[in-house]
Amino acid sequence: MTNHTKAEIILQVNDVQLSYDRPVLRDINFCIKNIIRPGFQQGQVVTLIGRSGIGKTQLFKILSGLQKPTSGQVTIHNNQPVKAGDMGVIFQNYYLFEWRTVHQSLLLAARKNKSLAGQEKQSIDQLAEQFNLTGHLNLYPQQLSGGQRQRVSIMQQLLKGSDFILLDEPFSGLDVCMLDKAVELLLQVSLSDELKTLIIVSHDIETSVAISDTVFILGNEEGKAGATIKKEIDLIERDLAWQKHIQKERRFMETIEEIKTCL
Amino acid sequence: MLLWHTLSDGLIPKPGKVAEAFVHLLGTKLLLDNVLVSLLLTLKAMLFSILITLVFAYLSVIPFFKSLAQFIVKCRYLTLTGLIFIFTLLTKDGSQLKLSLLVFGIVPFFVTSFLSVIVTINPQEYDLCKTLGYNNWQTLYEVIIIGKADQVFEILRQNFAISWLMITMVEGLSMSEGGIGTLLIKYNKYNDLTNVLALQLVIFVIGLCFDYLLGALRHWLFPYSKLKTAKAS
Repeated sequence: MTNHTKAEIILQVNDVQLSYDRPVLRDINFCIKNIIRPGFQQGQVVTLIGRSGIGKTQLFKILSGLQKPTSGQVTIHNNQPVKAGDMGVIFQNYYLFEWRTVHQSLLLAARKNKSLAGQEKQSIDQLAEQFNLTGHLNLYPQQLSGGQRQRVSIMQQLLKGSDFILLDEPFSGLDVCMLDKAVELLLQVSLSDELKTLIIVSHDIETSVAISDTVFILGNEEGKAGATIKKEIDLIERDLAWQKHIQKERRFMETIEEIKTCL
Repeated sequence: MLLWHTLSDGLIPKPGKVAEAFVHLLGTKLLLDNVLVSLLLTLKAMLFSILITLVFAYLSVIPFFKSLAQFIVKCRYLTLTGLIFIFTLLTKDGSQLKLSLLVFGIVPFFVTSFLSVIVTINPQEYDLCKTLGYNNWQTLYEVIIIGKADQVFEILRQNFAISWLMITMVEGLSMSEGGIGTLLIKYNKYNDLTNVLALQLVIFVIGLCFDYLLGALRHWLFPYSKLKTAKAS
């Protein structure tokens, strides 16, 4: 097992319930701890897996503060209840303001980050170079490819400076080549800061598990209405985290089978 | 055209005759003066209408103004003819009467179009604002004011036709200042059908020119609108 320690709790979900005319989510309890890995600025990558229509998007919205649960709460840093704007959110289709150029969109986000005050433009240029988008700063979202939009969305949230970035189905609709690039990009982000935490909500089990350190499985239990966290899998303990080409390993495939059975 | 030419008898002028009158009309100062009067009045009415529309549309996110905006939408079915006397009492002179009637006639159509734009806003636009830490006013500014500016322009373009249609009717009420409506009524009065049709052609061509001009101006001011149109087609 890779040398690491789990320190303070950075996100806590307590007894979250969500009901409309019927229960959608119930008894959602989990926490994310700061992982310390000697020699690395290792952030956290957590995946929430569940079948389509199980309530992943609702949980995603609750975690991001965009939706209030019926009861329970999500807290971050020093027990502060999460509110919209605390977390960076990357929507499934990488939504960007269509009336803003890439540069304008990034500037809007950078201006919300107090630590970048006065250095917004330099930060954008720096990040654009890192994300290979320097030549695209004056384009509108409609002129970008899916992969470029994804990178701009990630850049926007990075510039906003939130420690948490929530990603809704980041791999859906990407071709094989783009998928590899997206994975590489997310790993790069997770290594950019010790407290950087990516929470991926996905039904693409293989890809999301391959880049995660922890997996939470959202599913229904027999005789109980509403989805809950059925299982937590610590991939570091199983020596499946932070390894390239892990998808080819037999134990990885066994874990995938285990997850599938649980769904 | 062929059908028109064939079916024209003594009462309906032949296309060639109308074309001749059209060319003649284009060269007269009479037409230029009257077109300028009408255009000025239309543009003035459009400006007031868009300002009133924007106030009601932006405020329609507040429940009280929402119902007020919805009432304005229903006012599309009110006919101006029955209200002329009331407007005459409320206004000082013919110029104000025409302007207020035009604004009253245009605003419900503008509000209808703009509310439909607001209703169809993608919820992700609001969500993105929230995730970027915007408050409600910043969200309103970014999503509705800045984000929909190109669509306001498009509404302006689409509804120019309504204003242009109403101008001839309104100008017939107060003829002292002239205008194409007044000119049209004069030609009608003397059964000068050739000039009536020639003037209709002028009104039609000016309408088309404005439609094109506003469309081009929209693409120039908001380059992304061109991309949206291209994507949609």
